[in-house]
Amino acid sequence: MTTSRAAWCGMTLGALAAVTSLACEGGEKSAADSARSRRLATDSVAGSVTSGGVLRIALINDPIFDPVIAPDLGSVMLNKIIFPGLVRPDEQLRPTPDLAASWTAADDGLSYTFALRPGITWHDGAPFSARDVKFTFDQIIDPTSGSRLRSDFAAVAGTDILDSLTVRIRLKTPFAPFLTLLGYNTGILPEHLLKGAPLTQATDFNRRHPVGTGPFKVEEVVPGASVSLVRNPRYYGAPPHLDRIVFKIVSDVNAQVAQLRAGELDLITVEPATLASVHDVKGVTLLQVPVVQHYYVAFNVARPMFASPVVRRALGMAVDRNAIIKGVMRGYADAPRGTIPVVLRAFFDDSIAPIPYAPDSARALLASVGWTAGTDGTLHNAKGAPFAFSLLVDKGNPTREQTALAVQQDLRKIGINVTLRTMEFSALVRDHVLPGKFDAHVIWWTTPPDPDQYAFYHTGQDNNNVRWSNRTADSLLSLGRVTMDVAKRRAIYRAFQRLEMDDPPVLVLFYPREIQAVSTRLHGLPSLGIRDALRYSERFSIREP
Amino acid sequence: MWGFLLRRLGHAALVLLVVSTVTFAIVHAAPGGPSLLADPKLSVAEREAIESRLGLDQPIPVQYARWLSRLVRGDLGNSFLFESSNVSTIRSRLPNTLLLAGTALMLTMLVAIPLGAWSAERPGGWIDRVCNAFAFVAMSVPTFWLGIVLVLVFAVHWQLLPAGGASTVGVAGSVSDRLRHLTLPALVLATVGTAELFRYTRASARGVFGLAFVRTARAKGVSERGVRWRHGMRNALLPIVTVVGLQLPRLVGGAAITETVFSWPGMGRLGIEAALARDYPLVMAITLLVSAGVLVCSLLVDLAYFALDPRAHPDR
Repeated sequence: MTTSRAAWCGMTLGALAAVTSLACEGGEKSAADSARSRRLATDSVAGSVTSGGVLRIALINDPIFDPVIAPDLGSVMLNKIIFPGLVRPDEQLRPTPDLAASWTAADDGLSYTFALRPGITWHDGAPFSARDVKFTFDQIIDPTSGSRLRSDFAAVAGTDILDSLTVRIRLKTPFAPFLTLLGYNTGILPEHLLKGAPLTQATDFNRRHPVGTGPFKVEEVVPGASVSLVRNPRYYGAPPHLDRIVFKIVSDVNAQVAQLRAGELDLITVEPATLASVHDVKGVTLLQVPVVQHYYVAFNVARPMFASPVVRRALGMAVDRNAIIKGVMRGYADAPRGTIPVVLRAFFDDSIAPIPYAPDSARALLASVGWTAGTDGTLHNAKGAPFAFSLLVDKGNPTREQTALAVQQDLRKIGINVTLRTMEFSALVRDHVLPGKFDAHVIWWTTPPDPDQYAFYHTGQDNNNVRWSNRTADSLLSLGRVTMDVAKRRAIYRAFQRLEMDDPPVLVLFYPREIQAVSTRLHGLPSLGIRDALRYSERFSIREP
Repeated sequence: MWGFLLRRLGHAALVLLVVSTVTFAIVHAAPGGPSLLADPKLSVAEREAIESRLGLDQPIPVQYARWLSRLVRGDLGNSFLFESSNVSTIRSRLPNTLLLAGTALMLTMLVAIPLGAWSAERPGGWIDRVCNAFAFVAMSVPTFWLGIVLVLVFAVHWQLLPAGGASTVGVAGSVSDRLRHLTLPALVLATVGTAELFRYTRASARGVFGLAFVRTARAKGVSERGVRWRHGMRNALLPIVTVVGLQLPRLVGGAAITETVFSWPGMGRLGIEAALARDYPLVMAITLLVSAGVLVCSLLVDLAYFALDPRAHPDR
């Protein structure tokens, strides 16, 4: 999850726009404009590519160089470059070979055998082998290692070294998302440097001198300021074009924008609320990429008010999603049809009609289950209790705060009294979401590029914070995990998606697109979210216009 | 004098203990909890493993006792955020803060004290009016706004100075590069302090310049220069020393907003990050350091008083 930005961002920009002529004029780039720029950016890769140059990317926090223990955005971005995995996702988010040259899955789906690419060396010159893969997976499933990937790989039973370049990973049950997860955050660690002590205690490795196998290696770390990577001449794949990649730690979004405009940064991601300050800036292109996220309003299904699917369906019709996508997201989002985002095209069923904005039908549906409007227009049940609840949202993120406000206003229109409560993200999660102490909140999931949502929506699972329970959904979600055949899986998740229309687990608001503000000097960026795009850093190049 | 210092040292130890207890209670009472546990994706088992690794599964008094016993042995603990020792984390940030806050403080004193004295000499004169107008504006402008405007003007529009950071990455420590990066943040940080100190100096000097001993000094034929500086300003400096003393703790505590606008890797931003992430050990370490800084500064202020005003000396 990305952390929220300081609350005063909006204020600053507003004040600036009013006072200084240097602040750019408002207005949003249309989707068509962006699509065009995206084509330009990728077309140029085909031409002659110059070598050399330094790419500068903004980072919001000091990274920890270890993909197994560090879940924060800053660490994930760096670790994607330094620590390649066995596979990496292509632009359709399908796993393709990386450290593994090829693999075979056993017929029963209970093991995968990987043939590693020969001749790979670690940044310190030591040879890479099957031992490193086994070490990494042993750490991932070890409850005492500090691993943050354990629940992703709960199905892993163990790892066997068949020879120095062949490794077999055994599973307890067939697990269809396995390969996708391997290409997600699962970088391989060097056994020869990390064996013997808990990963969290390898401070020198984690903070200063990480050793991976990626196209760039760490040259210098200045805490709180920057991380410089330099080209790895021993990289096993296509030789990297850039000389260096410098990550500058700039936590404030306004400072990021200023540095991009001053030509001191080449790549930042922005929220729709910041668009105006990067729009129409000379030397900056805006790109958009659909990402594997769904933003939603969570209703606590354990509360009687939200127990009925009819009520949740009615609430879904009462919220004008298109207005939110247009107004809050400035068009940088897609209309939802269930919890599986549209970017997972192989599984997304676009024949399903989106939930319409129909406040009158919503009122009628609510009346059918006993919520009738009083003389003042507010809804009451048979006992005379009003339909009222509090909606929690994290403080400081303009997208989510404005979204919550829109939801509040839409529900007020049909007679539901919603109280907004803002709080820090950690307080929202720890004090309300996890212990189930909430009526409703606005939040989002970032998931691996796989339709498996067992952990989020199966009865009784750790991440099913809304306490939704549907027997048919349970069996579909369980079946989807163990079904290896893609066509059968597609049918399963499409059935799940249709089921969500009748019994919505959450009120899905939109699937956001990531907005990347990129220097026109940068070429070779794949059309992927920033995290996955960094898996292709060897293809990036800098060309002065 | 030695008795005084010993007493102050005793007080300081007590104050630090109280501050640490209160801070510990406050950070643990703050809503939420460590950010590494605020990931809604964590399973219950993963969360419990992290809590037990960090000792967060213990009752808070036990956690405090453990923290205190480590502190007594000189161990400030490990940060949750950085998975490394707090001493090394602080050591990497403190020099940047000393440089930025020190430069700003120097600028403040060099500009505010002479201007305050000149203004006081001819109240209503053109120097006084211009300086007052400047001070009024400088005190009213929000720091982050001033910072961003300067960045837009000098870094984005004219491209004369860098927009942020403490040095150009990859350029090995050149002095001119450091100075270029230091200019804007130091200017912003000095602006408010200068305005405040100017107003205090002016008020204090005006009070003193009207007193009888100044008239006496003039009457006995001391040069105007001597009247102003040796007699007048020496006495006017007493409240000024207090004001400067109040600004001193920034030398270790950093200036969060300026550091954020200019992405300056200093203590202020570190403190904010630690507090937002509920990084208990790091918050405690920073609080202790800043409290110690405040105590040292107030001691320095007292010593400066003794030097300026012999009547205040404890041995008298």
